[in-house]
Amino acid sequence: MTNTKIKFENVEFTYIPPSGRPVRALERLSLDVAENEFVSIVGPSGCGKSTLLYLLGGFLPLEHGEITVDGRKVSKPGPDRGIVFQHFALFPWKTVRQNVLYGLERKKMDAAQRDELAQKYIDLVKLTGFEDSWPAQLSGGMKQRVAIARTLVTDPDVLLMDEPFGALDAQTRGILQEELLAIWGLTRKTVLFVTHDVHEAVLLSDRVIVMSARPGRIKSTVNIDLPRPRNSEVTRSQNFASYCDEIWGLVREEALVASGIKT
Amino acid sequence: MKKLAIRYLPIALIILFWEFASRAGLVSQDVLPAFSAVMVRLWELSAGGEMLVHVSASLLRISSGLGLGIIVGSALGFLLAASITAQRLIQPTLTFLYPLPKSALIPVIIIWLGFGNSAQIMVIFLGSLLPIVLGAYNGAKGVENTLVWSARSLGANAIETEYQVIIRAALPDLLAGIRVALALSFVLLISSEMVGAQQGMGFLVAFLGDGGDYAGMFAGAFVISAIGFAADRAYLALYHHLLRYREA
Amino acid sequence: MVAQRKILNILMGAILPLAVIVLWEVATRERLVSPFLLPPFSRVMVRLWQDIVSGEIFSLAGQTFLRLAISYSVAVVVGVTLGIMMARVRFVRWVLDPVISIGLPTPKIAFLPIFILWFGVFDTPKIVMAIVACIFPLIAGTWSGTQGVDKYLVWSAQNLGATRRELLLHVIFPAALPQILTAMQVALPIAFIVVIVTEMLSGGSGLGGSMIEGARLADTARVFENLIVIGLMGFAFLRALQILRRRILAWHPEVLQEKN
Repeated sequence: MTNTKIKFENVEFTYIPPSGRPVRALERLSLDVAENEFVSIVGPSGCGKSTLLYLLGGFLPLEHGEITVDGRKVSKPGPDRGIVFQHFALFPWKTVRQNVLYGLERKKMDAAQRDELAQKYIDLVKLTGFEDSWPAQLSGGMKQRVAIARTLVTDPDVLLMDEPFGALDAQTRGILQEELLAIWGLTRKTVLFVTHDVHEAVLLSDRVIVMSARPGRIKSTVNIDLPRPRNSEVTRSQNFASYCDEIWGLVREEALVASGIKT
Repeated sequence: MKKLAIRYLPIALIILFWEFASRAGLVSQDVLPAFSAVMVRLWELSAGGEMLVHVSASLLRISSGLGLGIIVGSALGFLLAASITAQRLIQPTLTFLYPLPKSALIPVIIIWLGFGNSAQIMVIFLGSLLPIVLGAYNGAKGVENTLVWSARSLGANAIETEYQVIIRAALPDLLAGIRVALALSFVLLISSEMVGAQQGMGFLVAFLGDGGDYAGMFAGAFVISAIGFAADRAYLALYHHLLRYREA
Repeated sequence: MVAQRKILNILMGAILPLAVIVLWEVATRERLVSPFLLPPFSRVMVRLWQDIVSGEIFSLAGQTFLRLAISYSVAVVVGVTLGIMMARVRFVRWVLDPVISIGLPTPKIAFLPIFILWFGVFDTPKIVMAIVACIFPLIAGTWSGTQGVDKYLVWSAQNLGATRRELLLHVIFPAALPQILTAMQVALPIAFIVVIVTEMLSGGSGLGGSMIEGARLADTARVFENLIVIGLMGFAFLRALQILRRRILAWHPEVLQEKN
């Protein structure tokens, strides 16, 4: 058995909207993620899957239960848990290079080393030549490449991805999925990946967690036993299709519950 | 109600502190008359009918000046938007005149029209004109072509199109321009009344101050603030009412 | 082709002002209008030239400019600071919120006699009046700019290790910059209007004081001369702010689109 990297224990969260009733987003949720494991979380809209990431990121206050990374309790945001958001969240007033440098500038390191490292990751996400562009001049896919480089360059212990390809068109999404697989092959980070795209989850992950409709709990876990290194070839296999079918069936049941059609 | 009370509590505290500072002699009554003394003067000036004379003189001026500004300004703005030639002819001049501090017109208008009502009305009219022209112009220019086309294709002729579609669609920008003009009008009204008039709120405040009636001067300044505030809020209510279709 | 178009546009734009000037000159030369109401344009220009040579106009404009520059810079620095403090410190927000909501739409110029009572008739009341008149949109604009900051940007900075101070400096302030600059563009004409009015009302020379004196002495050429100088200054200042905005917001889609 490999080491546990991330541990959720009896995590609960209630979201209080500015007006209206409190919403129970997560209920007694426990989950272990092993070191170097790529785990995806899928589930119907509003099931609290992003909330789970934000709690791990330390952006939301944990009211009940415990979250640990390498045995250390999570209490506030920190560069040990790098995150990539759906809508990129690049600093629009910083160039590509300045965005990638931002995390490094918060660390003690000499400037030459910083520049070299930033360039390495800009090259890795294939943005060579765009170092001095403003985010507003880039396409959605390119923006997300910058965000990925900005997060990876700080060498986080774990990588959190919040529907990172959800705002991109189908072709761009396909390309970035393959590149993420390649990058992951190089770095072997522990990844927690939230998506509502079942196909994407199966393609990328070692394990897919299906969450129930609100309040969010773990409905079931599916181990994806497909050979690595993977690329889009794998999607043509019979196994891939049956994994997708199985998970899609589980998600569909919950989506029906969430929309009030079935209880 | 309770929320409102908590929100405006700092104002109440400031007034309390003011009253205390003045009564306890922390500052001279000549420099800062007590809040209660100001209120007493406010009552005297209002009950004697003096305040009403000046308030109505000011209101007459601002409503005429701004009213004229709205009529002429929006007509000019729509005209400008409708004709490329008019734009090329007039726009550079407008761009140049727009940043002119309108208070600089006061002496010119005094030379032309003297110290009567017409002078203040003219200053307000000229001062409010450009923001309204710009509001109408931007609004009408920003109308999506598809809106105009769809109105035409539904059988509207050019004049109907202008009225039904362009003016309605330009309304948000036009109304925003008028709000800027409203604030500007008050500044120009009070300034021009202070510089040269025998009536009006600006005159009253300056006159009371010159005569050493400081409580009265504070009372006058508060009445002006209250009217300006009320006018802005009333306009805002009208604004939301006219644009209520956007909020649905 | 593009250059020709540009020249044509400039020529067409010049028609109206030139026509006004020609009409002005002819009407006054032919005595259709009394020179007291409107002196010939040429006489105003000669007057301006004389005052440029003697340096008189620079001394007047300098006084006005100094008052405007001091009051406007103080208002920008204090207003932006207060606006950011409103966003960060609950107590400041609690005190300033009602003050702003009442103070923003009221005509502050009504308090000028009070400031004259407090600060005398020299530079101080003029500067204080101009600060009070133009600081409200600056505070309100800065505050509202800090309100709309995307929470994911804040989270990203925190995630990359930003401290509270760095968050303010690197995220909240730059995110509020477009609205701060807009507020600065709104506040400048207000400060200018007020400086001119205070000069008219409480002496102390400057362009406003010179204008009102010209009106009293029936020296109409001087009034128009000063009006033209004030107009040029107003235009130049707003232009300068526009250029500053384009420099500072080089990253903003509004500027990037304009370039294309």
